Amino acid sequence: MSGPGGSFLARALRHRSFMLGGALTVGMLGMAAISLFWTPGEAISLNVAHRMRPPSLEYWLGTDKFGRDIFSMLMAGAQNSITVGVVAVSIGLVAGVILGAWASAKRGWIEEAVMRFSDFSFAFPAILSAIMLTAIIGPGGVTSILAIGIYNIPVFARLTRGVANAVWAREFVLAARAAGKGAVRITIEHVLPNILSIIIVQATISFAIAILAEAALSYLGLGTQPPQPSWGRMLSEAQALIFLAPMQAIYPGVTIALSVFGLNLLGDGLRDLLDPRLARKR
Amino acid sequence: MSLLRVENLEVTLQTSVGPARAVRDVSFQLERGQSLGIVGESGCGKSMTALALMGLLPEGATTAGRVMLGEDDLLTMPENELCGVRGNRLAMIFQEPMTSLNPLHTIGAQVMEPLLLHRGLHKSEARDEAYRLLDQVGIPNAKSRLDNYPHQLSGGQRQRVMIALALSCDPDILIADEPTTALDVTIQSQILDLIEQLVSRLGMSLILISHDLGVISESVDRVMVMYGGTVVESGPTQSLFHALAHPYTRGLFASMPRLGGKRERLTTIPGTVPDLADLPTGCTFAGRCPLVTEACRAAPPPRLPVADGHEAACIHLDLATAARPSELFS
Repeated sequence: MSGPGGSFLARALRHRSFMLGGALTVGMLGMAAISLFWTPGEAISLNVAHRMRPPSLEYWLGTDKFGRDIFSMLMAGAQNSITVGVVAVSIGLVAGVILGAWASAKRGWIEEAVMRFSDFSFAFPAILSAIMLTAIIGPGGVTSILAIGIYNIPVFARLTRGVANAVWAREFVLAARAAGKGAVRITIEHVLPNILSIIIVQATISFAIAILAEAALSYLGLGTQPPQPSWGRMLSEAQALIFLAPMQAIYPGVTIALSVFGLNLLGDGLRDLLDPRLARKR
Repeated sequence: MSLLRVENLEVTLQTSVGPARAVRDVSFQLERGQSLGIVGESGCGKSMTALALMGLLPEGATTAGRVMLGEDDLLTMPENELCGVRGNRLAMIFQEPMTSLNPLHTIGAQVMEPLLLHRGLHKSEARDEAYRLLDQVGIPNAKSRLDNYPHQLSGGQRQRVMIALALSCDPDILIADEPTTALDVTIQSQILDLIEQLVSRLGMSLILISHDLGVISESVDRVMVMYGGTVVESGPTQSLFHALAHPYTRGLFASMPRLGGKRERLTTIPGTVPDLADLPTGCTFAGRCPLVTEACRAAPPPRLPVADGHEAACIHLDLATAARPSELFS
């Protein structure tokens, strides 16, 4: 893929916020990957004898009130956030893109129904739907994945329908219809490839929102359950000790903020890089 | 029996100001190997007529009348059967070659698609056939062009690709909707020559839509002049251009600049096209016609014969043909 100003890679390397976002995201993914087989300390089992240790060579960021190594917990917590984010965004993306593309291809009452359904689900605050879902199937990682995934369906459905409608109005789609292609073929061959970059950008942004939402649900005790470490629950556990050991709340807080910031920069950068017209205007 | 028979075609579009009768009472026949030109200004219903034939009218449009392709009425045919007709028996070339190709797929892939879809060829056969088609429409280095993307081709070359695409399944009828409007003049005649040549060599019928009288006069057997959604004059090209009858046709012809003519003001037809959502009861042209009388406004004019196969919808044909066009509108 090449565009104005050199190849995709060359433009990506020049794009500062994209590179920063990419570095932060790679850092987060790397932390999660390494934690799968190695952590500097104990992230899960309790060791009360070593509780509330200050940072040291053995405990890089100290230990919490149960004696778990905070840095190891952050690493293992990244696994959790990424799993929830990836699965939830995939659910929302697949279902939402199918619904949106269907609405756009059929128009008429089907489009109306899909869009009104989206409006309807937007009327509920996401956290409220999550609490409702928890009441039905109980708290846990799966609940937060489902809740965030369902929340993402109308987000993707709306976006897809909007940009797909614009593609359907293009002349090459009329030409494709004149060549005797059906709605399904046109959607797969002409519509989806032309809206892919927008969907990718939305997926990155939604991933950031999902991490934030997972942290919020865990903070409320509705998400990931102990002993699996989670950034949100680290925050809520540290809350009680906020005046005694403020750093214990700041570590997971900063980790969440950096991950979300990184993903947002990555999304913005991707949008610039995938849409050369936007990039040139800057 | 005629290849294509259009009877009393009506197209009504839904607009914000109410239903707009974009095409009214259009009838014509097309024999195998014959070519028909539809001419008229923007918004006269010529493109809508073509889209109605293809079953590609915009959302919310309603139709009446019959469009018989052989034994089949295209207006009542279900969408899934229409998909088998489009591209296969009826093919269409559009005005904008710059945007009629998907920018994300190679030329080869796009020309091969209908071959795989309608003719059931294998991938390698389709590639050979695509090469033959591109070569046939005069694209140099057709073999290497197969792997090019649309942005690597010029406008004229893209229109050639569109023609290759339209011809790929050997359609009975080719509909060309202003195929040269977006191209510059030197390319225009090349493309028109190419269309004409291919149509006669392959024995297809052609419906050529244009607002350019010059293009029409050179390329087709029969001409249909449309105004405000209806046919005002139709006839064999020779006869029609020899004896323009309807005041609108005469005005349209007089408003064309002539090469080497005297440097004088061009004749213009005063006024603008009528609002399709609010049409007059009588003759559509009544509001702009210099010969208008009460009778014109009372009822739609009947089609009156001018010569063999040549008719015009005007009740004042004698007056219209008596005066020179430039005098008619001065």
